[in-house]
Amino acid sequence: MKRRALEYVLPGDVTAPRLRAGLATDFDLEAEPSKVVDRAYFDTFDGLVRQADMSLVWENGRLQLMNGDGREVACLSWPNAPTVVRASDLPSGALRERLAPVIAVRAATALVRVRVRQRVVRVLDAERKTVACVVIAQPSIVVGDRARRRLTPRLTVTGVQGYAKALGRVRDLVEHRLGLSGAGESLRDEAVARAGGIPGGMSSALEVALQPRQRVDHAAVAILSQLIAAIEANLPGTLADVDSEFLHDLRVAVRRTRSLQRELGGAFPQADLARFRAEFRWLQEITGPARDLDVYLLDFEAFAASLAAPQRFDLEPLRALLSERRRRERRRMARALRSQHTHTLLAEWKRLVETLPELPDDDRPDAAGPIVDLAGGRIAAVYRQMLRRGARIDDQSPPVALHDLRKKGKELRYLLEFFGGLFPKATVDPTVKALKSLQDTLGRFQDREVQAMMLRSLAQETAGRQNGAAALMAMGVLVERLTDQQAQARAEFARRFASFADRRRRTAMRETFA
Amino acid sequence: MSTVLATYNIKGGVGKTSAAVNLAYLAALDGARTLLWDLDPQGGSTYLLRIKPKIKGGADKLVRGKRRVDALIKGTDFDRLDLLPADFSYRHMDLALDGTKKPTQRLARVLAPLAHEYEYIFLDCPPSISLVSESVFEAADVLLVPLVPATLSSRTFDQLRRVVRADDHAPLVLGFVSMVDRRKRLHREVTEALAAAPDVLSTAIPTSSDIERMGLYRTVVDRSAPRGRAAGAYRALWQEVRDRLSAAA
Repeated sequence: MKRRALEYVLPGDVTAPRLRAGLATDFDLEAEPSKVVDRAYFDTFDGLVRQADMSLVWENGRLQLMNGDGREVACLSWPNAPTVVRASDLPSGALRERLAPVIAVRAATALVRVRVRQRVVRVLDAERKTVACVVIAQPSIVVGDRARRRLTPRLTVTGVQGYAKALGRVRDLVEHRLGLSGAGESLRDEAVARAGGIPGGMSSALEVALQPRQRVDHAAVAILSQLIAAIEANLPGTLADVDSEFLHDLRVAVRRTRSLQRELGGAFPQADLARFRAEFRWLQEITGPARDLDVYLLDFEAFAASLAAPQRFDLEPLRALLSERRRRERRRMARALRSQHTHTLLAEWKRLVETLPELPDDDRPDAAGPIVDLAGGRIAAVYRQMLRRGARIDDQSPPVALHDLRKKGKELRYLLEFFGGLFPKATVDPTVKALKSLQDTLGRFQDREVQAMMLRSLAQETAGRQNGAAALMAMGVLVERLTDQQAQARAEFARRFASFADRRRRTAMRETFA
Repeated sequence: MSTVLATYNIKGGVGKTSAAVNLAYLAALDGARTLLWDLDPQGGSTYLLRIKPKIKGGADKLVRGKRRVDALIKGTDFDRLDLLPADFSYRHMDLALDGTKKPTQRLARVLAPLAHEYEYIFLDCPPSISLVSESVFEAADVLLVPLVPATLSSRTFDQLRRVVRADDHAPLVLGFVSMVDRRKRLHREVTEALAAAPDVLSTAIPTSSDIERMGLYRTVVDRSAPRGRAAGAYRALWQEVRDRLSAAA
């Protein structure tokens, strides 16, 4: 039954008999017996299911993917409520097919469990066919096994596909005759918020609105506070290995922090800055190997798919080896992240950021200046450095030259992310686009280089495993493919760089940021 | 992608509609989004599901692609089961198809936009052999053929096999014995003979007052008489169909 759900707040004085009496003058009704349903709402940490205007719900032994109209798109029998749902763990079928593009590599975890005492009243036409349903619901949040916190009582009207007129009439009666008002938020959102969660999920995207004349240290605090929040938010999911994106987002926040430490170094007390730059470099280093192995395993299917069918299975010993290494590196990383050292460093960094504007300016030469000047100068300087380095690259340049240019590109990317909003969009947006395109090419070049090196370094160990010889041959083919792809990326470079460095952009960048 | 299953027989009154409605319901009960298209102008499935046998624009506009098929679909009283209703104009569907290019591909084209919406699409076909049936053969992945326990059934099924196999996109043909009265010796013997063929399923649907009463209660037997033999037989038949589909995949 396809439905379009409308949710209303049910005031205490509107009882079930009064509701039925309000509708019965216009429709035949059939009330089902009152029942209690247990339900759990699922989403990824960053709310991808909700962003796609869907909801993932476990109810009565079924895991259901519903669209925004409350219509079930796909479902699967699932006797007990799961704690986590990953698309890759689902059996092939409609649910996996629909959910995988929405959540990709992320895991959907249970956000909140609710228990709903509800009564369904079916609205019937002359053929006694259900043309709409009215659900009177008293929901509560479930903690442990018991319903603990009452949520807003609701009346939900759901339509049936092909019976839009009937739905409209029921809605009119509910709103005008019974005088009910629409619920401001869905039951899902209310329950998630009451359970202490964020209904839309936690985004790791940076959203800072800076003012051009804002002091540099105030701007630094505004950005770094968000990055600290992102590190803190992603740390538990990283340690629990819920999905690979937690570690990725944690590392992005660390990298952005390091970038800001470098770009706005003059806003910090110099001794503290030196210490924390070293500490954050350490954080980046201890999380690197685990992330690299995540990437290899995430790319594994694509690697395997590039081989002829019989050879794909030959790579299994390599997959097993990568998985083992990943487990080992994860353990090592988790030990470091759980250590007192990490705990102290994050707490002290947070304290420094919070108190930064109150510290004396003597040791902080750039602290009081306007952010727009410093940021503009840095963007112009890094862009110029990229132009110089890029112009020196030719077909004979060693890979390290492209790698260095990519690192500078990351620096410019972060500067534009942090401070782009202070400058005209007409210059910033096309530059970000050209930079992204250039970075994609440089990234592919570098990734293929590293992946080929990794395969070579694993060759001996793989060869010693069961079916190792076949795996080694398949890896040889892969290395060849990677080398070809790297050559393609290199061939692309000149075109991408020319677009990034063209005369009009150089002029616009000079005029905007100098 | 949808799996399209058509309940088809040249003869009428052999249990096509009952099978289509009950199997589509069981597919939806299993958790699969399911559509039933009532292609029979008599509108038996549409009536059983309490829906008005009417589609805007009639057969002509539908097969010519002048109507969005999803706008014509009605939700039934059962979760995950939708209906594309019958319309009296379907009695002229042969003519409507004949007026189109590549008429035998038209039904498949009508269903194409729904391929990702539904896991199963059931076609409840009218009894005949015509352009509509050819279009059904083209659209269907599986033909479910109810065979009444009469001596001529075997011959009719043979004819159908030959016709279908001549088609380029031959669907899987699966017969099943329908309307069996186990008290009759002839029924028992013919059922046994029919079911010996590898493309005839072993589950037989009994003659049953539960099935006859579907028209009275206007619901599926699994709802009106869930413990009855008919309901059990449809469940077993659906399981067998699913097994055959898995084996063929």
